[in-house]
Amino acid sequence: MPQRRYRFSSLLATVLMSLLVLGPKLAQGAETPPQTSPRATVTLVSDYDVVAPGQTVRIGLRQRLAPHWHSYWKNPGDAGAPPQIDLTLPAGAQAEDIAWPGPDRIAVGPAMNFGYEREVVFARTVTLPADAQPGQRFTVTAEARWLVCEKECIPEEGRFVLELPIAATPEAATGPVAASFADSDARRPAAHPWNSRLIAEGDSLVLEAEGRELTAATVKEAFFYPAEWGTVVHAATQGLLIDDGKLRLALTKGPSLPEQGNLDGLLAVTDNAGRTTWYETSLPFSLASNAGGAADDLPIWQAALFALIGGLILNLMPCVFPVLAIKATSLAGMVGAPPRELRLSGLFYTLGVLVAFLALAIALLVARSAGNAVGWGFQFQSPLFVAAMSWLLLAIGLNLSGVFEIGLGMSGTGQSLAGRSGHQGSFFTGLLAVVVATPCTAPFLGAAIGSALTAPVAVSLTIFAMMGLGLALPYALIGFFPGLARRLPRPGRWMLRLRQALAFPMYASAAWLIWVLAQQAGDQGVLIGLAGSLLIGLAAWLYGIAQEGGGRSWRLRGAALFVVLALAGLVPQLKETAAPDTVAPTADSGVTAERFTAARLAELRREGRPVFVNMTAAWCITCLVNERTTLSRPVVQTAMQESGVVYLKGDWTKYDPEITAFLRSFKHDGLPFYAYYPAGGGEARLLPPVLTESLVVDQFRPATGDRS
Amino acid sequence: MKKNPSLQLSSPRRRTLLGGAIAGVGGAVVFGSSALFSSPALAAPQVGQAAPDFNIIDTQGKMRRLADMKGSIVVLEWTNADCPFVQKHYGSSNMQTLQKEATAAGVTWLSVISSAPGEQGHVNAAQANDIAARKSASPSAILLDPDGKMGRAYGAMTTPHMYVIDKEGILRYMGGIDSIPTTQVADLAKATPLFRNALQSVIKGQPVAQAVTRPYGCNVKYAS
Repeated sequence: MPQRRYRFSSLLATVLMSLLVLGPKLAQGAETPPQTSPRATVTLVSDYDVVAPGQTVRIGLRQRLAPHWHSYWKNPGDAGAPPQIDLTLPAGAQAEDIAWPGPDRIAVGPAMNFGYEREVVFARTVTLPADAQPGQRFTVTAEARWLVCEKECIPEEGRFVLELPIAATPEAATGPVAASFADSDARRPAAHPWNSRLIAEGDSLVLEAEGRELTAATVKEAFFYPAEWGTVVHAATQGLLIDDGKLRLALTKGPSLPEQGNLDGLLAVTDNAGRTTWYETSLPFSLASNAGGAADDLPIWQAALFALIGGLILNLMPCVFPVLAIKATSLAGMVGAPPRELRLSGLFYTLGVLVAFLALAIALLVARSAGNAVGWGFQFQSPLFVAAMSWLLLAIGLNLSGVFEIGLGMSGTGQSLAGRSGHQGSFFTGLLAVVVATPCTAPFLGAAIGSALTAPVAVSLTIFAMMGLGLALPYALIGFFPGLARRLPRPGRWMLRLRQALAFPMYASAAWLIWVLAQQAGDQGVLIGLAGSLLIGLAAWLYGIAQEGGGRSWRLRGAALFVVLALAGLVPQLKETAAPDTVAPTADSGVTAERFTAARLAELRREGRPVFVNMTAAWCITCLVNERTTLSRPVVQTAMQESGVVYLKGDWTKYDPEITAFLRSFKHDGLPFYAYYPAGGGEARLLPPVLTESLVVDQFRPATGDRS
Repeated sequence: MKKNPSLQLSSPRRRTLLGGAIAGVGGAVVFGSSALFSSPALAAPQVGQAAPDFNIIDTQGKMRRLADMKGSIVVLEWTNADCPFVQKHYGSSNMQTLQKEATAAGVTWLSVISSAPGEQGHVNAAQANDIAARKSASPSAILLDPDGKMGRAYGAMTTPHMYVIDKEGILRYMGGIDSIPTTQVADLAKATPLFRNALQSVIKGQPVAQAVTRPYGCNVKYAS
């Protein structure tokens, strides 16, 4: 069948085409008779019914398109073609090129096209010769070819002849023709009124415009239409950020953007009434000169220093606590070990931390370069990862509790430390520390990671390495200053007790991660998470018995292995459910928070209302602690209500591009994140990641001065 | 009393266990992220880097894998017989001439049809062969990509959209067949034959002067 349809449609096209070309459309006055197809009604129009010698008149191809059909702008986007209009004019007359009305975006599958729907006039300005004779006719012949597309594209063409009477005084066109010109004139690009520039940031080009009228209250949407193919990716989302007096639009570099030059196109700005204005934009740029200064707010050494300090502070974050437990036990076990061993242990731990940091950074950069809006801590957005972490922590806890041993009975502590394998343990502890710690971005980390991710790869990796160094530093120091280690108490029974006690933070973390799983994957997720925990317990127990020796131990080991394999069978069941779309994972029931959306924020700011934005996630412990100890407290809640502050809360537990974009607009890349927009539409003030009641309440008071 | 309260690893067994656990976590990170990143967006392959591999059935029922074509220059031509831009190049025999010229020089020419079922240009193997025969087209093979996987991996946007891959599997050219984006046959003579120039350079082992150009044509009719 499809083949027959193919033949039929090409036959039909041929017939239609021959009909269309049959005779030129001859007309007097402002519009020729139409050439019609089921897709488009096309005429040649003039904005004057009667023309005068020496005047300029606009001659246009007027297209009225059937619903869903469109034609194209000069850069048609990923496919399609703009119309062509060849004019034949009386001697002495001059014609300019088509003045392209500002286009709309037309998405077709994964592609983005730029063009027009409903009605459009492609006009060329024509100047009559000064010696044109009143009483005669000014004859314009147009040979036009255009493409109309719905999903499928049909090329059409036509020949039109427009005869305009010449008189001493011109008469402007009226009626539908005038209205059609007026509609397209409303799309006529305006001169670019703002102080603008283009900044290269990694794979993005950020278009920055400054002007007093650019506020959240006046700009609802903005889009940059490149004049030429290949300069920016047409279909890529253009992240918009409006700060009072400043607009930032993030464009994705196209495949044939030169190293330097001018980026030409139209900046379309849509106001809150839905009215779009297109501005002619031509901005010089140079990718080379900006390449080194991507972290444009922070010099590299400073970002690196912050990263080091941030890494250090990570050690104090609740997320890292379980890992500190492991580290503490191992340190306790090293009391009395030779200095060389201590040093190597510190070194391997540091190495583990660095490798993990760099691996995560590379994964993140790769994901970014593939155009994904992912943020730091993104691995916790995967329910699979969360479940695996929960199980791993449980297994470590069981080991600490003594359910099973790792290599028990082979040797004493001192001897095992002397073995090389001890360092492998240090290395893996380092890896683990990083993987667990990432959701807690320490105060300095947000900014450092934000700038690191937009910097060139080498700089970016340096910053991540510094962060790792910071995290590992305390242990590395113990390794290199054995004097410190000597202050630890002597080995003894306390070590066993300590080890058993430290199992509990592990269990606590495992339990917490199951709760996170509940947010991400619902009941089903909890079921699978707990079933997995059960299997881990069973496997550990079997393995423990096997270790007690006896001839059948291999069977028990086999059984343990089998149980672990069963665990693998659970994994495919674990899918992200369309979990209840409630406002977030919170510690604060009874608090009235609205769900964050960029649109809601813009709306509230337009109304001039003060807004408090809280970005949180179930896996961000610092966030939850802040909510529990500060944000949900009556003092804070009352203060919010009294000051009329709207509390917007965004949940990043699962992947959410809108929140990622919002965070990135502040050059932040992790949680916690708090921002306060004062009444009257002022600029956002960022709050530190660790909150206190007075700090939050002070924000709401008018005239608190500058505390951003 | 248990003798070894330390978590330090001290035997190969220990290493395997903790190592396995860490590998598991690492695997979860990778797996989890790949699930996160399954956005429907088009990939953009890079000229100068390995072209995305494919393993896809042709209209003769044979599997065609890029990795198996090492040693031969490969041309990919996205096509859709009902697209007026494609008709421009087949109706004028421009495409057939290019195909003959290329295959005579030992180039493997693959026409790819990524139209989804129910969309314009979607055909089965027999129909595709029939269309090719009627137009006297001579590609080395016609690949059927109704799920659009290969098209999306290459970022194929239009029909036609042309790619040249060298003998080592490196992408050397992607873009338009020529420089004038219209459906008029008359424009062929005036246009710069961008694709042909690129292919000639690759055959001669020379660098391609214009390696990325604007593809023009109809949208590839992917399932939406």
